[in-house]
Amino acid sequence: MNLTSQLRVVWAEFRKTTAIWLSYPALVFFWAIFPLLWVFPYVFQGKALVGSMSSAAFEHLTGSGNYLAFVMIGAMVSTFIFSGLWGVGNSLREETYWGTMEYIIASPTHPLVVLIGKTVAEAAWTSLMVVFQAVVIGSFFGVQFTLAKVLPVLLLIGLLMVGFYGFAIAFAGFTLLIKEVHGWVHTLEWVFFLFSPIRYPVEVHPVTRLVSTLIPLTWALVAIRGIMLLNRREVNLWPTVLVLVLMDGVLLWAGYFLFVALERKTRRDGTVGMH
Amino acid sequence: MTDIGPALGRRLRHYAAAVWAENIKEWKLELTYKADFARSLIDPVVYLLPYLLYGVALVGGRQSANLEKLVGTSDLVTFVTLGYIFIGFLNMALWAMGFSLRKEQYYGTLESVFAAPVPRWVFTMGMSAHSILHQLLMIVVQIVFIMLVFSLTIKPAGLLPSLGIVGLMLIAMYGIGMLMASLTLIFKQGWLISEALASILMVITPIAYPLAVLPVFLQKAALVVPTTYGILTVRHFLLGERLGFSIADAFLRVALLGVVWVSFGLVVFTLIDKYTRRSGTLSHY
Repeated sequence: MNLTSQLRVVWAEFRKTTAIWLSYPALVFFWAIFPLLWVFPYVFQGKALVGSMSSAAFEHLTGSGNYLAFVMIGAMVSTFIFSGLWGVGNSLREETYWGTMEYIIASPTHPLVVLIGKTVAEAAWTSLMVVFQAVVIGSFFGVQFTLAKVLPVLLLIGLLMVGFYGFAIAFAGFTLLIKEVHGWVHTLEWVFFLFSPIRYPVEVHPVTRLVSTLIPLTWALVAIRGIMLLNRREVNLWPTVLVLVLMDGVLLWAGYFLFVALERKTRRDGTVGMH
Repeated sequence: MTDIGPALGRRLRHYAAAVWAENIKEWKLELTYKADFARSLIDPVVYLLPYLLYGVALVGGRQSANLEKLVGTSDLVTFVTLGYIFIGFLNMALWAMGFSLRKEQYYGTLESVFAAPVPRWVFTMGMSAHSILHQLLMIVVQIVFIMLVFSLTIKPAGLLPSLGIVGLMLIAMYGIGMLMASLTLIFKQGWLISEALASILMVITPIAYPLAVLPVFLQKAALVVPTTYGILTVRHFLLGERLGFSIADAFLRVALLGVVWVSFGLVVFTLIDKYTRRSGTLSHY
């Protein structure tokens, strides 16, 4: 299959995924609004424990006592992670539920190409939602998005997405093997919540601080918050970019080989159509 | 007149057998995926830790002077852990029961379940029986872990009355579960309904904070949610949290919510069940 044909498959998958998104408009609304709503318990918890909107202990750990902005930025950036987990990682399992998995496997296209189509669609939709969230956060929660801040943030998010979608592709291969992954996706979600600074500064405990350095999201979030909340534009940006580029390389390489190996094993075992 | 008693007894035994069969079916399905089952026991601990670590990061330790001022206790770890246990009960109503019919649809067994000679509420009660047992197991794992790592300090004398209010609360949660299950028949994408409502309830239920920090309109909304009374009263019994109402009031209000939610859930379920059958959309995706 030549490159043009493969690009046509990616485009067809993009259109199909978009058509499914638009069949459930509530889904679009949900992913645009609810990641921000999930932050409110943390805001009220902060108010109950500290009694104001700024915490000295929090400032000692993060450089900023503004815990509201901290969790809001975490929610916005993590939208990419969770939509990637569900939209890409879980996508082949959904095809099994729909009864269309066997057609994909039997088609003359490699499933990886189909998965790339799903990834592109997911990335496009998620980006739209995050832009909406940024508008809400900028308008109502006092986080400023100037052009000088936005450009380096976009670079970091781009690098974060590339690596993470590599991981999600490997996870999609994993779903071919173990089938029932709904719970595992939830567990992965919470591993990210626990070991990366989405909702709290991981520096608070030595174990979380150590483990979090292995997750690209940690590097991206620390740098993004540095730019957004502490106005650090250049400092620490390039070392972070380098770390993310290296992590992207490893994750894309591992994602590709894991997916191909797991897909081959599933075909050989004859378990593609099993639930 | 004399025939009514035995007939009713037979029918109740028949329903009880169906509830038990549904419960066993769910356990069998769950234990088929052993790794997933093991994961479900670890999850609640992982879910809880970010809340605790966030609290510790905010105050620089486990004691909060502001929390003490608000509710009479400063130990944020015990406060949040006791509140967080109730998320399991919310999940029971919103996910285990609410999503149950959608799951049957995925399996291709919804029509068979609906053709069975038992009322629908019996089916959802079977789902909730399984879910309650599963939640209890998860709570035990959660509490043992937190006890070992953080050493919770609770009043043992409060355990029995706590079980009493939780039992009453579960009846009301069953009503919410019925409502959720029926909504998935119409909206199909059941997880979205469950997730949306769960997100809203997570905000208005005083899991990791007292009601007093919520805006007034949210405080009022929280009073129609059974878990609000469950959390506040259990924390009062076990931790000494100050209540804005008497204990008798708490039991009375939860009992009342039980009647209201169960009646409402059953009525809505019956209406939607009739509608989907008449419109022929039961098997639609």
